[in-house]
Amino acid sequence: MTGDGSPSGLHARQPKAIHSALTVLEEVARCGAGVTARQISDNLALPRATAYRLLNVLVQDEYLVRTPDLRGFALGRKVVELANLVTPAAARPPEAVRAILDRLRGGIRGGIHLVRYEHDGLRVIDPDPDFPPSDRSVILSRLESSAMGRLLVHERRGRAASAALGSAAGLNAAADPLAHADPRSRPLSDIQDEGYASQIDGVTVGYGCIAIPIRDRSGRLVAGLCLCAPRERIEHADGLLAVLRQGAAELAPLLA
Amino acid sequence: MTALDRAIRHPEPVRGFAERSPVDGLDRRSVGFLDVLAQSVSAVAPAAAATTIPLLIASAGGSPVWALASGMLIALLVASTVNQFTKRIAATGSLYTFVSRGLGRTASFVAGVALLVGYGFISMFALAGAGYYLQILLGDLWPAAASSLLPVGVLIVSMALLCALVLARGIRVSTRVTLLVESVSVVIILVLVGALLYQNGPTVDWSVLSLADATPTTFVVGAALALTAFVGFESASTLGVEARRPFATIPRAIFRTVIVAGLLYLVASFSQVVGFAALGRGLSSSTSPVNDLAAAYGIGGLGLLLDVSIAASFLACAIASITALVRVLFSMGREGLLPSALGRTHARYRTPFVAVVVSVPVLTLAAIVTIALAGGVWRAMEILIVGAAGGYITAYTLACIAAPVFLHRIGELTLWPALRAVTATILLSVVLVVYLVSESTTDRVPGVWVFLAVMTLGIVLYLVRHLRRPWLRHAVGIYDVPVGADVLGAVTFGTAPVDGAGETDAAGRLGKPAAGS
Repeated sequence: MTGDGSPSGLHARQPKAIHSALTVLEEVARCGAGVTARQISDNLALPRATAYRLLNVLVQDEYLVRTPDLRGFALGRKVVELANLVTPAAARPPEAVRAILDRLRGGIRGGIHLVRYEHDGLRVIDPDPDFPPSDRSVILSRLESSAMGRLLVHERRGRAASAALGSAAGLNAAADPLAHADPRSRPLSDIQDEGYASQIDGVTVGYGCIAIPIRDRSGRLVAGLCLCAPRERIEHADGLLAVLRQGAAELAPLLA
Repeated sequence: MTALDRAIRHPEPVRGFAERSPVDGLDRRSVGFLDVLAQSVSAVAPAAAATTIPLLIASAGGSPVWALASGMLIALLVASTVNQFTKRIAATGSLYTFVSRGLGRTASFVAGVALLVGYGFISMFALAGAGYYLQILLGDLWPAAASSLLPVGVLIVSMALLCALVLARGIRVSTRVTLLVESVSVVIILVLVGALLYQNGPTVDWSVLSLADATPTTFVVGAALALTAFVGFESASTLGVEARRPFATIPRAIFRTVIVAGLLYLVASFSQVVGFAALGRGLSSSTSPVNDLAAAYGIGGLGLLLDVSIAASFLACAIASITALVRVLFSMGREGLLPSALGRTHARYRTPFVAVVVSVPVLTLAAIVTIALAGGVWRAMEILIVGAAGGYITAYTLACIAAPVFLHRIGELTLWPALRAVTATILLSVVLVVYLVSESTTDRVPGVWVFLAVMTLGIVLYLVRHLRRPWLRHAVGIYDVPVGADVLGAVTFGTAPVDGAGETDAAGRLGKPAAGS
């Protein structure tokens, strides 16, 4: 929440401001989406100008978003990152999981990463030490350009469709062909058809990745096994896919 | 953090957010702060203005340094008022969209026409200016080219082609090119100014800043002319869709553009005034003050560098102004106010390329016709700049009136922004009237008439089109809304409606984008 984005810019007044900002976030969470600036300033007994300034700073940093009519506020997806920053790093995966990953890494040239999906976000819990994955912020800022992010987007769409079941709008969203207007990426329906996500050139030009979903018994996405490699290996990945699928099947009972 | 914690772990389904924004198709959230800043700075073209505006002010009897300082003050007031919108709305229509959110559609037509006149005329002015200075350079190498109008025409057409190519190729390409070009020209100006002040020695005659000769009229005329040196600073707001973190980067870019340009103008005008005072001449006795000064102080070789810098600054200005222009056209095309083809984007480069393909030839042709009719490049530029300044200041005035109304509508009106907006409105109205009246007493009077004629014609055309399409009433003023992917727990539907037709159950709770009624 540094207004200037400078890491050393913290000064004495800021702890108070950070406290107020968190209080505002808390209030938006309590009141639910659509709460107006005036309601927030009344509920928290904050001076109007202060409340509006705090809200605008939180919108600038995308912790809050304005509702389409511009009057109300809702929590932005970015608060999840905030939560993931303050929660302790996930524990190392169990020995049995690491043994499987080591075996896969020994057999396949390329980066093999294990991703955990939780709280509507993703976290690489076992990155390949020899081929480190791209920066987390890059992946989170453009989810649709990485295979591991595309699994998450696909999962969110599916959830949205089932939540809105019966409402025509929700079903249309899931089946809408225009929803995948970005010509550089393959349509997300491939994940449904082929059972994995892939992309080429989305994060690093000349490279691509494949992400195999790992689901629990109810079908919820809990983890993903990712392979990152030069593009020609991703384009002709038929042999690799079988190995990866086998690995994912072995990992599933240990992670779900 | 109980409620927040709960919201993160088990997000409540939030309805009313679309999967795609109504301005989908542009390269959403792709350019950073430097690119946004480059857009605004280049549209202002500080290097070109720093060398020409002080002379204009001095010729009108004003004191350049004081006039530019007061112009900067007005520009800061306007910037802070425009930023009330840019902190809350991410749009490509800039002031046109903003005015529609405060004052409704009729006022937004006027603002839209004024803004298109501003961007369009300044693009033609900049193309002509780049051609003019390149011809001077060419004339040094090949004297035969200096006199006729044909080489200028060829230069203008080839630069317009370059602009179209850069613009269609993607927003990142065009902002990077303008950033590079504009930085080079500002550095050249600063080197020249530094050299002038150094040559002038340590004794500075501060009495040149005296306001003893000024009358209220010359002061106001000076301030009005000075404000024209700043116009274009708001153009970063046309990148609302393409900027990353637009609510942070765009307001900052707009404010810093005014500060950077203002400081450059103050230093440049001060050095010119001091330089001429030391020579015992008046600034207005020169036709090309910085060149004359460079020659008088024995650094004439830098004059050539200066011409390169001004030509480069004009070219960057043309690219930036057309960038802004096509995004306003794109917005109007998406709304249906203009043919919907203008709202189409290139599938791969994600730019509003139909608007580029249509507007660049029109602007080029209009610039060449103006030059032919006016009988000279410089003469055409004088006419075009009047139209551009009139358009910008009209749009600023409407935006400053709209800001408090908009803030009141969304329930966020507070005292200081309202006071700043009212002050800016009053000052801008005075400046607009004084500017047009004072220009109509000079030989630039055709510019005033062209401006008034184009404004009237544009507004009439809009009203006619609007009468034939009454449903457009709901569609005016689209902006980028957060899509499902930005919102915690969003349950999305197709595209956010730009008209009433798309409203569904899912859209019901939070409402479609507020109609401009």
